[in-house]
Amino acid sequence: MDPTIIMQMILAGVLGAILYTIIGIAPGTDETAVLAPVTIALALLGLSPHVILAFFISAIVAKKLTDSIPVAIAGIPGGVMAAPMVEHAMVLKQHGLPDVSIRKMASGSVIGTLVSLPVSLLIAYLILPVADTVAEYAGLIFTLGAIFLALLTRNKILSLAIIVPFAMLIMGLRHLYWGLGIVPEDTNVFVSFFLGITIGPIAFTLFELLNKKMRKNMPRVGYKEIDMRKTGKEKGFPNPFKILTKKESITSAIGSLFGTITFFLTPVGMTVFWGELITRHIKDPVQRASRAISTMDGLTNATYIAGTLIPLIAIGLPLSPMAIGPAAGLFNAPPVFTPEHNIHHLLSIGEIMTATIIGAAIALAITFFITIKFSTQICAVVFKYIPHEALIGLFAGLVVMLAYMDAGVMNIFGTILVALVAGLLYRNGVNYGVMFMVLYAAPWMLGLF
Amino acid sequence: MEGDNKERGNLVEIWEDNVDIKDLLIAMIFCVGFSLGGYVVAFGETPPLIFGLGGGVIGFIISSILIKPKRKLTMLKEGEE
Repeated sequence: MDPTIIMQMILAGVLGAILYTIIGIAPGTDETAVLAPVTIALALLGLSPHVILAFFISAIVAKKLTDSIPVAIAGIPGGVMAAPMVEHAMVLKQHGLPDVSIRKMASGSVIGTLVSLPVSLLIAYLILPVADTVAEYAGLIFTLGAIFLALLTRNKILSLAIIVPFAMLIMGLRHLYWGLGIVPEDTNVFVSFFLGITIGPIAFTLFELLNKKMRKNMPRVGYKEIDMRKTGKEKGFPNPFKILTKKESITSAIGSLFGTITFFLTPVGMTVFWGELITRHIKDPVQRASRAISTMDGLTNATYIAGTLIPLIAIGLPLSPMAIGPAAGLFNAPPVFTPEHNIHHLLSIGEIMTATIIGAAIALAITFFITIKFSTQICAVVFKYIPHEALIGLFAGLVVMLAYMDAGVMNIFGTILVALVAGLLYRNGVNYGVMFMVLYAAPWMLGLF
Repeated sequence: MEGDNKERGNLVEIWEDNVDIKDLLIAMIFCVGFSLGGYVVAFGETPPLIFGLGGGVIGFIISSILIKPKRKLTMLKEGEE
């Protein structure tokens, strides 16, 4: 491979790692919202596919390593994916062990990355011969996924009941856009609906604030009190395998393996499901919490990498929640990448793996080191200088802009509609996973009728 | 409630953190305005998305400067609860 390209990949990896170390720590940042637009932008800038892939992989690994830091230090999830870990991290915080939390989580992430890289490659090879058939049954797979995830939520009946109506909302809007000639008939508006679901709960709350009565009744709070604990100093370069106990390493690896295999299901759902299943039997709360966070962190990291790599190597279509969400830019960033002409088609398997390994290695080296050494300092800076309002604003700005990009002014309102429905459902116990799956399954599902 | 009571009782919790409704409105106007505005006014060969992203970042920086985070940090020393 050309040494200039390798240098560019390394540079992209470093940039991705630094940028997403900071973004990862900021509370409430959603993976899709912060990763997809930037990846799409890089693709549209005409950078080489190697560089884009290295940047993306480095960014997800870094983001994943750092979004659990605020969980450990302050009990605030740094991202949607870190939310399932809050409960366990709080147990460790209460026992005065936030630095243990961070080290365990970061080490779990490292294991997740190490496990999922080779296993993803293996699964991709296994799928390769049947890739065309899998692509044909994608609709069925997503529909079954939605039903499966609906059965895992706390409001099973509602979750099952909304599958078809929610698909109708999505397809209804798409047909409306086609009918009005806003987008061509072969274009499925996707990114903005996806983001609409993601911001659903927050949009719902914001609209409630417009209601004077609701505003009056909303519980008022003061400044958020955050007790931070100085973490102990770590000497030398940290070794993840020494930080985790043998059992923790093993469950992290097993969790990562499951996460890699279930790459086509939604990461949050899988994290909760496997994470709880693997640690349910442990009695001691501290041991259980520390086993749970290392396992969950490994698992989410693994589903992220597998969800990106497997469809990218084997199929070239975004056939996993990860691929269709945060990694969407690698598959579809028209006019540069299209489903028929994207990184899958442009790079060989060897090239994909090289870019991935460079990106992952750089992010692990830089971010793991920073995470273990300076977690408290970085957290303090982010908490002190970055207002939550600005983050919500930025997020809202990106969603509105992407909605406009997808299908014009009309789609800004369409996305608000999707967001409000999603928010209402979320409030009533339907989780994101079900709605995302329905979004993917909608065209096939409604084609049945 | 009167004037200077931001310290307690004037904020609402949105998405795991506390915000002031008025500040949130300001931040939303700046961020949405700049990112959508950037996308719409884009010129030249550069894809409009870049202008939009740049606009979002500008909006974010302006609102970060204007708005004070609603968090109170307390550093605990080791062994303290």
